[in-house]
Amino acid sequence: MKQTAKERLFAAAKSQPFDRPPCICPGGMMNMMFQEIMEQSGCPWPAAHVEPEKMAGLAKALYQAGGFENYGLPYCMTVEAEALGAKVNMGDLLCEPHVVESPLADCGEWQSLPQLSLESGRIPCVLQALRLLSAGNEEVPLIGNLTGPVSLAGTLVDMDKLLKAMRKMPETAHAFLDFVAEQLIRYGNAMLEAGADAICISEPSGTGELLGPRYFRDYTIPYLNRVMDALSAPVKIIHICGRMQNVYELLEQLHCDIFSFDAVVPIKEIRPYLKGKAAMGNISTLTLNETTAERVQAQARHALRSGVDVLAPACGLPTTTPLSIVQAMVSAAREEEACQS
Amino acid sequence: MRTKEELLAELARCVVEMEDDSVADVAREYAEAGHDPKEGILNGLIIGMNQAADLYDQEEYYIPELLICSAAMYNGLDVLKPLLPQEKQENEQKIVIGVVQGDTHDIGKNLVKIMLEAAGFTMIDLGRDVPVERFVDAVRAENPQVVALSTLMSTSMQNMGRVVQLLEEAGLRQQVKIIIGGGPVSTAFARKIGADGYSVNATDAVHLVRELLGA
Repeated sequence: MKQTAKERLFAAAKSQPFDRPPCICPGGMMNMMFQEIMEQSGCPWPAAHVEPEKMAGLAKALYQAGGFENYGLPYCMTVEAEALGAKVNMGDLLCEPHVVESPLADCGEWQSLPQLSLESGRIPCVLQALRLLSAGNEEVPLIGNLTGPVSLAGTLVDMDKLLKAMRKMPETAHAFLDFVAEQLIRYGNAMLEAGADAICISEPSGTGELLGPRYFRDYTIPYLNRVMDALSAPVKIIHICGRMQNVYELLEQLHCDIFSFDAVVPIKEIRPYLKGKAAMGNISTLTLNETTAERVQAQARHALRSGVDVLAPACGLPTTTPLSIVQAMVSAAREEEACQS
Repeated sequence: MRTKEELLAELARCVVEMEDDSVADVAREYAEAGHDPKEGILNGLIIGMNQAADLYDQEEYYIPELLICSAAMYNGLDVLKPLLPQEKQENEQKIVIGVVQGDTHDIGKNLVKIMLEAAGFTMIDLGRDVPVERFVDAVRAENPQVVALSTLMSTSMQNMGRVVQLLEEAGLRQQVKIIIGGGPVSTAFARKIGADGYSVNATDAVHLVRELLGA
C-alpha cells in the first residue's frame, strides 16, 4: 500500500491504516519556511506574504525540495488581525509579520470592529494562493491556518487587557471572543471553498500555561470548538503551545482530529489523554535549527516510538533552519515501517 | 481608625486578592495618617505581590490573576511613590528589559519587569519590537547590571544573539549579565548565543538575577 501524502495525512487523522507516518508542518503560526528555501525559490518574504503567486510558489518549492509533506498557508498569524483593523509590520526575509498596533484600547470596544471582509487585507491573497495550490492537486494536502480565537483577540486588544477581562469582565470577554470566533468561521469557510483540505488552528496565547485550567476550560476550548464545529474541514488540527500538565484532563473536550503540542510536553505523558485523536509533534525547533541530520532523525524516531502519529516540528521554525535538516526529518518518517493499525 | 499594621496588611491583601479598585483608597488612608510611604510600599504592596507570586508558583494563580494583582500594586504605588523623599538610591541595581525586534508579545516581559521591580530592581523598559541597537544604546546610557531579553516568536529569537554580539562588539559585554526568556528559547539556546542565563517564568527570573549578581 503506497499512499499519497494527502491520503496518508487523512488516514492518520481518522485513525485508519497508513503506509507510514506523515511528516508535516502546518504553516501559519507553525512556521514552515526558512531563508534557504526562500532564496532558492525566488519567492522570499515579505513578498510571499502579499503576492499569491509567490505565496503558492514558496509552498511548492519546499515540497518539491523534499521538505514537509504538505502545503500550508499563510506564513504568519496576522492576516485575520490585519483584516480586523490591526496594523501589521510585514517583517523581512528572516522575521515574520507581526502586529504592531491593536485596533482596540479595551475589550469593551469590540463592537467597533468591522466584520471581517473576505476582500480585506491579505485575505484575497491567501485565498488565491490556496486556489493555485489546490488546482489539479491530488497529491499534497493543503492546510489553511487560522489564528486561535484567544490569540487573535489578544492581538486586537493588548493581551493583558484580555486576560484581565477574563476574570473581571467575563461577559465582555465572552461577547468579544464570540465575535472573533464568528469572523474566523467566515474566513475558514472561505479557505475550504478555495480548496483547503485541512484547517489548523494554533493557540500560542490561549494556553493552559498562561490561562490556567479554569480559563482554558471557559475560554480556549469553547471558542476553538465553536470554530471547528462550524467548519466542514476534512481534517481538523489544533495546536496549543506551552506546558499542558494542568489541562491534560480537559483535552478530550477539544473537537479535532489531530492534536499538536509543544516540545516541552512529554509524548508518553500526554498520549493517554488524546484518545480518539492523532498526536502530532513535537520535534524541538531549536534542535532543527542547530543539530545534525543524524540527531534530528534519532529524535524523530524517538517521537514516533513514543506515540506520535504525525511527525511535525513542535513550534514554528526559525528562518535560519537548514533545508538539509528538514529533509532529514522527513526522511525519518519515510523510513518507518508500514503501520499496521 | 485602623492601625498602621492593619493598613499595611490591608494593602498587601488588596494586592494579593486583586482589589485593584479599592487599593488606592487604602493607600491614601495610610498616607493621610502620616505613615512612612516607603514602608507602605515594601511592607504592604510588595508583600502582597510576593504572595501573589507564591500563589503563581503553587499554580493557584495564573497570568490573569498576576496581571490584576500587579495592576493593584501599581495603583497603590501611584499614591505612595510620589510621597517618597527624592534621594538617590544607594547601590541601585538597574535592569534594561525589552522584547527583541520582530515580536510584540509583551506579557511575559511585563511580568518579569513587575516581579523584578517588586524585588527592588530599577527597571528600564524599552518596550516591544525593540531594534537590537537600542539595547546597546541603553547599556551605554544607563549602565545597568543586567539586560533581559524576551521573545515568543521563533522567527525573532535570533535577534537575541545579535544583541549579545553587538554588546561584544561595543566592548560592553563584560559589564552586564544577559538573561533571556520566552516560549521558543531555553537554557541551551542561552548558552548557544552566549547569554548568561534563561528563566522559565517571571518568578524564576528574580532568582536568576539574584544568582547572577550574587545578591
